[in-house]
Amino acid sequence: MRIKKCLYVNRRAPYGTSYALEAIDAVLIGSAFDQDISLLFIDDGLFQLKRDQDTTDLEIKNHSPAYRAFEMYDVEKFYVSEEAMAARGLKKRDLVIDVEVLSDSRIKDLMDEHDVIFSF
Amino acid sequence: MKFVIQVNEGPYQHQTTDSAYQFTRAALARGHDVLRVFFYHDGVNNGTRLTSPPQDDRDVVGRWSALAAEHGLDLVICVAAAHRRGILDESEMKRLDKDAHNLAPGFRISGLGQLIEGVVLADRLVVFGD
Amino acid sequence: MVMSIEVNGKLLETDKEGYLTDLSQWEPAVAEVMARIDKQELTPEHWEGINFLREFYDEFAMAPAVRILTRAIGKKLGREKGNARYLYNLFPYGPGKQACRYAGLPKPSGCM
Repeated sequence: MRIKKCLYVNRRAPYGTSYALEAIDAVLIGSAFDQDISLLFIDDGLFQLKRDQDTTDLEIKNHSPAYRAFEMYDVEKFYVSEEAMAARGLKKRDLVIDVEVLSDSRIKDLMDEHDVIFSF
Repeated sequence: MKFVIQVNEGPYQHQTTDSAYQFTRAALARGHDVLRVFFYHDGVNNGTRLTSPPQDDRDVVGRWSALAAEHGLDLVICVAAAHRRGILDESEMKRLDKDAHNLAPGFRISGLGQLIEGVVLADRLVVFGD
Repeated sequence: MVMSIEVNGKLLETDKEGYLTDLSQWEPAVAEVMARIDKQELTPEHWEGINFLREFYDEFAMAPAVRILTRAIGKKLGREKGNARYLYNLFPYGPGKQACRYAGLPKPSGCM
C-alpha cells in the first residue's frame, strides 16, 4: 500500500467534545496502515497534551496517557503552534510528550508538505 | 479527480452534513469519482433510518440513501463511533445483544481502516466538520 | 442478555460475549474462571500476555494493538515467540479479543 504523509490536526479541548478521543483511534489506524504520520495541535487542541489531567469529576476517562504510547506505534512527530502555546500560557514542560514548536508561518509550510490533512 | 469525503457531524444540528451531501452530488455530477463517504464522530447519526423530519424540511438521511442507490456510492459508518451512539445494523444488533437495529439503506458499518485505505487511494480527502 | 460468572463466591456480571461489565471487579481469579469456561489452560506464557495487557492499559489508558503485544512477548519470552502465530496459538479466539477479556480490558471496538 502506498505511504502518504498524513497530518492530523487537533483543534479542540480534550473533553468538551469527542473529537480528541476519536482522533486517537484514527491515528492508531493510520499507523496500522504504515502511513507517515504527523500530529499538529493548534488552538484549544493544545490542552489535549496538558500534563496532570484529572477527569475524575467529569466522569470521563482521561485519555491523555495514550499520546505517550504513540512512539510504540511509530508515531513520533508532534508539532504545536507557538502562538497557541503563548496565548494559553503553556510551555513545553507542561505537556505530556516532547513536541516541536512551530510559528504559524511554519505551520502553513507543514500543511503544504503533507498529502492528507485530517482535521479534528 | 478521486475524492474521499469525511463527515464529522450529525444531521440537522449542523449544516456540515448538507454541505458534504451537496459537495458529493456536485462532484459526481461533474464526472469526478467519490470513492467513499466516511461518517465519523456524530456523523454516524446520518446513518439512522429512524429520522422523521417534517415535510417542509429536507430528508438528510433519505437523500444520502438515494444518492448511494443512484451512483453506487459507498457510505461507510465507523463501527466504534456507531457503537457509542447507537447506530446498528442487524448483525451488530445480534452481536451486541440489542433489541433493534436502525441502519439506513445504502450505508454499511465498518472500521476506520476504510477511511485510511480510502485516502491512500484518493487524490483528495475533503473533511466536513464543525 | 446479562450473564454472570462466579469468582471466589461472588457473581460478576458479563455481557453476552463474556466481557466483564464492571472492569474494576477484575482479579486474577477472573481470568482463571473465564479460561476454565473456555476449557483453556492458563500457563505462565498466557499470564505474560495478560499482565502485559493490564500494565499497558494502566499506563496508557488504552489496549495495545496486537503487533505491540507481539513485540512485548518477543522481548519477554524470546524472539521465536514474538510473532502472531505464537500469540494465536496461545489465545486461539484471537489475542485482542480473548486476552483482553481474560485481562479485564474493554471489549475491542472492532476497528483494529
